[in-house]
Amino acid sequence: MADQNKTDTDSKFYNEVLSPSELFAARSRSHKIPVRGQKDFFPDDSDEQRQRLEQSLNEHWSLISEERVEKLGNLVKATWIPSENIVELQSPAGKFWQTMGFSAGGKQFLFPEEALYLMECGNVQVFYQELPLSIQDGYEKFLYSSTLRLQEYQVFGHLKRLGYLVHRFHPSSETSSYAKQLNLPQSRDRAGKQLKRKRSASPTATSSHTEAQEESTADRMEEDTCGQEGQEDKKLPESHLTISPETSSTQTATASPGNKGGVRTWWMLDDVGERSDHQPASAASRWDFSSISFPDLGSSRERVSSCLVSPDPSLLPGALAVGVCDVDPWRTRINLRDVKMSSKEQMRKEEKRRHRSDKDIEVRRCSNWAEYRQLMERRQGRRSKGRATHLWDGEVTPLHDPRQPIPTGELLDKISVIKSTHLLEGASRLQASDEWRISFNVYQPDTVADFKKSNPGKPYTRMCVCSFDGPVPDLRAIKQLAFQSGDVLVVFAVVDYGDISFYTFKDFQLPTDVFP
Amino acid sequence: MTDHTASVPAQTEGMEQGPPQVLGVSDSAPPQVLGVSDSAPPQVVGGQQNGRLGRPLLLLPEEERLLAELHATANANQGGGGVQLSLEVKQHLEEQERSLEEQRVLALQDRKSALLHAMTSSHTGSLGPSEALRGRLEALHRSFTFPRGAMAVQLSTARAGLHHCHEDRAFLRAQQPITAQHDSKAAARYQVFRDLRGRGFYLTSAGKFGGDFLVYPGDPLRFHAHFIAVVLSLDSSLSPLDVLAIARLGSNVKKTVLLCSPGGVQYPGGAGGVQYTSLQWSGMV
Repeated sequence: MADQNKTDTDSKFYNEVLSPSELFAARSRSHKIPVRGQKDFFPDDSDEQRQRLEQSLNEHWSLISEERVEKLGNLVKATWIPSENIVELQSPAGKFWQTMGFSAGGKQFLFPEEALYLMECGNVQVFYQELPLSIQDGYEKFLYSSTLRLQEYQVFGHLKRLGYLVHRFHPSSETSSYAKQLNLPQSRDRAGKQLKRKRSASPTATSSHTEAQEESTADRMEEDTCGQEGQEDKKLPESHLTISPETSSTQTATASPGNKGGVRTWWMLDDVGERSDHQPASAASRWDFSSISFPDLGSSRERVSSCLVSPDPSLLPGALAVGVCDVDPWRTRINLRDVKMSSKEQMRKEEKRRHRSDKDIEVRRCSNWAEYRQLMERRQGRRSKGRATHLWDGEVTPLHDPRQPIPTGELLDKISVIKSTHLLEGASRLQASDEWRISFNVYQPDTVADFKKSNPGKPYTRMCVCSFDGPVPDLRAIKQLAFQSGDVLVVFAVVDYGDISFYTFKDFQLPTDVFP
Repeated sequence: MTDHTASVPAQTEGMEQGPPQVLGVSDSAPPQVLGVSDSAPPQVVGGQQNGRLGRPLLLLPEEERLLAELHATANANQGGGGVQLSLEVKQHLEEQERSLEEQRVLALQDRKSALLHAMTSSHTGSLGPSEALRGRLEALHRSFTFPRGAMAVQLSTARAGLHHCHEDRAFLRAQQPITAQHDSKAAARYQVFRDLRGRGFYLTSAGKFGGDFLVYPGDPLRFHAHFIAVVLSLDSSLSPLDVLAIARLGSNVKKTVLLCSPGGVQYPGGAGGVQYTSLQWSGMV
């Protein structure tokens, strides 16, 4: 406990400043935290209760009135710069530098909330105008600015004491989810690394020719999905890579060797040239497929020669010489088993064969789809007795004709009154409001080991600080915050005079019982 | 998370001296730092968090107002008061040097006594060791270093100028009020707070429970809360859904819900002015 200094004999007054002997004696303080036992229900003036109360009060009191004493060697010196609301470190930072603070212009800095937290922990001593600041000064000076409220500091301190890593949130420095999806390279060497990765992962790349084909086909597919212009050939997402080897290999298996070189070269030529979308159908008119024979290697009925002749060397590019292709090893890889059809399927197949539409005279007479549909309706109408006309003739008709086939999912959509939506729908249109803003990014404690301040990665959650006195966040605020945050959950930290409760809103879809 | 509280104990340490002052922070913007002096009533409670047992304590705004009315707080925003900056700096550095010297002396003493203790406990009553002892002590004197970094320094919680002698307190007390509370809701809350305090209950905030205050029969350190106090004005209407919600909540946490409305009947004892209605889930009558 602190000493009582007597300056004059008349009045004693109380001083919190510790004398050097007390400072020295503080090394042997016990660091025990009082244990909270079971609480009682009702005060009944028993001795036992009073005793326990006194004991916990005394423990509590002694801990509160303890002054913070630290060895000078353990303290990091820092100065407060009020013009920028920042604390600059004068001596090298300690262990906390791994997760807190930032460096700029060769000097190390701390944010005011980090500085205040470290002051309370006893790691940093902040000076202002050559004098050390007390905790009281810290609270007044650091939290006075509009960038940080007391409540935000409370949440910050709470989370840090639990072990989380808490950083300030800057809306501008967050990449949107779209940008993340595109997996844009951060730097040039990153692109090089990706290229290497792709090469090694490609499973069927044996010759450079096939690899170039895969690139081109995958590139074309990627072009269709992303619609991206000006992207390099090298940089391809790996998912497309897994699809492309299969397609190219099947293509090489079934395509006649005579066309292998020819068709490929056409595609590659166009790819290297312009990027406009080409319809392969338009190119098909160039080729007369009736004269080009594609051997059906999969058919078991026709007898296929065991080997395919080598293609015409005039069709092949350059000095490529292709020999006879032995088909048997390929055929073993294809499933040549007969498809077993159930009896119903077989009956349907028979019926279809019998009612071939192109042999049907009436169908031939229809000149467009509308007439064909009318013909079908007439036929349907003749077959069944007709639908309930009293239902269909009035102003209000049934939602759906039961004789029309419809998948269950669509039917459920038709009868649904409430359309389900997700949280981010329409969120991009909302403007940021002043009332609700995200204050912190929070990272999990177990990432401390490999945490890099320059590249912290995706945070675990983001915090929005509010209080029970304020309004409940409405849907607009929730949407706007969710949009700002991207794909990271936003947690509302509600501060209640020291107690903090955490709430979050999650997207939820009602389960639909649909089996396609 | 349970609420942690601290209270100033009723008994005092010395005869004239009250309990030491406690530094409290009020939850307003900008945060006001207060010193809570020794004449505070024994039920001062301040919420804390995380089991963090250190100052500053956070006070409810009602607590702050109550203490202000009882003139038990002082606005701690007074500075060093007229002393020039360079003088302060010089003083501070001098103090540090003095502290370093004293601590060095103390550290040396400490080591010597430890050495003596070790030597005398290991050798029992022979003449030889006294010379060895002297030799050891001299070696200690020569080799003892107490670097600046080993000096213990106080990180003061309150500003150095905040002493509390009686004259000062009178001077400081003049700076009231600390926070202005204008809306009627806050005034109602304060009235309920004061009334319940007057009846001897301990109160903490109850945002997590959907109410305004948690009412404890004794110190929150040792007892469970009995009531959740919800402050309503007498002429406000409450929809049944709200009543149901708060009653359900109360029964889930085994506390009685207390609807408090200031402006009720004045009890003859002078206390009161607040009408209380309790909600409790009962079975079939």
